[in-house]
Amino acid sequence: MHSEQTKDKAESIKEISDQYKHLSLFWTDIMHLMASKPQALTSIGPMRAFAANSKKISTELIEINEDLMEFNKYVTQYYKQLAEAWGIAQKKVNLKAPEVPQDIEQVEAFKRIWIDIFDNDFTELFDSEKFGENYGKLVSKELELTKHWNNITNVILQSVNLPSKEEIDEVYKEIHSLKKRVGKLELELKKKEMSKNAK
Amino acid sequence: MQNESRVDPKIIEEILKFSKNVINAPKLVAAPDEIVLEVTPHDTVQRMDKTRLIHYRSLTEKQHRTPLLISYALINRYHILDIQPEKSWVRNLLQQGFDVYMLDWGTPTSMDKYLDFDDYVNGYLDSYIEYIKNESSNEKITLQGYCTGATIATAYTSLHPESVKNYIATAPVIDGWRDTTVISNLAKHMDVDKMVEIIGNMPPEFMYYCFSVLKPFEQGIEKYVKFFKNIDNKKFVDNFLRVEKWLGDTPPIPGELFKQWIKDIYQDNSLIQNKMYIEGQKIDLKKIDMPVFTQVAVGDHLVSPECSMPLHYAIGSEDKTLRMYPTGHVGMIASSLSQKKVLPELGQWLAERS
Repeated sequence: MHSEQTKDKAESIKEISDQYKHLSLFWTDIMHLMASKPQALTSIGPMRAFAANSKKISTELIEINEDLMEFNKYVTQYYKQLAEAWGIAQKKVNLKAPEVPQDIEQVEAFKRIWIDIFDNDFTELFDSEKFGENYGKLVSKELELTKHWNNITNVILQSVNLPSKEEIDEVYKEIHSLKKRVGKLELELKKKEMSKNAK
Repeated sequence: MQNESRVDPKIIEEILKFSKNVINAPKLVAAPDEIVLEVTPHDTVQRMDKTRLIHYRSLTEKQHRTPLLISYALINRYHILDIQPEKSWVRNLLQQGFDVYMLDWGTPTSMDKYLDFDDYVNGYLDSYIEYIKNESSNEKITLQGYCTGATIATAYTSLHPESVKNYIATAPVIDGWRDTTVISNLAKHMDVDKMVEIIGNMPPEFMYYCFSVLKPFEQGIEKYVKFFKNIDNKKFVDNFLRVEKWLGDTPPIPGELFKQWIKDIYQDNSLIQNKMYIEGQKIDLKKIDMPVFTQVAVGDHLVSPECSMPLHYAIGSEDKTLRMYPTGHVGMIASSLSQKKVLPELGQWLAERS
């Protein structure tokens, strides 16, 4: 019953989000079409380029919102796992060392017990399938948020005629490939020279 | 009631002493930034892109004929092998009469995100080995790989056995499926394609996070308590700060290299199954047929012994030795145990073959 209610709630949030996305895109598109003729007069200015791509920013912002909900789900789970591990470890410490330490030797012994139990329990958590899986999803969502932020930054970069991240990556890839080819050619040349000298 | 409120005066005394130590710490010790980690005199003899080849100056009149090149890990920097004179791996080998080179992988930038295993194995490592062979007039050298540096060195040794006279694998990362560490668990669940596509190189902060989850309370709390408690102990403090500085300094890892490493070692476990390829060339561990010395630490929580030991059984060498030491990942290379036990054993083995 509870899981059905949660599912219904999630679907309803998704519907609202989709409606908002559609509404936003509709009006940015219409306004862009209505305004494109006077804007064309200033076609080389930054505002023209920015306005032409502003729809992209609203799309990204909406998607960020959707991804943030997912991110929050995994980050909540992450801290829940940590809190549960802490609670269990503390109970174990209380069982093993119920007395309040009275002297310096007892304080040292208590500290050792506390650290050993906490280290063991947390290592067990970090080593578990449930932690690894949730952590992987959490990082993945964080990366998607980064991607949206990159896309928004690209719109701003393009509005001032600067290369986007993808364009810079293309240059890096090309440089890497050229360096590799030059390196191999140099090696071939060296080998040929060596065999020539040997003759 | 009187019993409940009674506190041992020694506890108060300890707390006061500890507080005093914390206050006095900046007056007594150097800031990590002020510490120079390069200890043993050396020269930079070659550079390629951001990497460089270091040659240590000899400490003995006579030297063994075969030079030794150390391929350090991709995580943190090579300084741990020369962290301080009395715990220096490099200095010890020099004192035993070996001619020692070190490969410094440098600090990759965004521009290097497409560097892959091929660049590291057939590019940097191969070029530096060719240089050492020419300089020393040797046809072969001794190669040592440490941690992830041993993954690269293992791949190199399989592809270019004609250049390697002896191979030393120190805590090598080989069999990801057998690895029992937290790092391996995190790596198995990583969407590494997405990570590299979006952020490019693997950021140092992320690597630092992965290490901070290893023994979080011992490493995150207790060791700092020990540091302040021992603030008057010059030797302890110096060693602590040097290791801390080294731990906090980890360069980014090139995206493509990281992707292949996570997939081929931790996710698909291709290397140990002889299914790993570098630029179309198969890494066949059976082709490693020269003398091999594998060093494993029983208490290694970064690369578990189960991850390293399969190398010993998978290679084609007949002259092979596996040694296990009762210490950890760093303890094996920078401790009094390494000076008294690990290095003398290695030196003896190597001298007989150099």
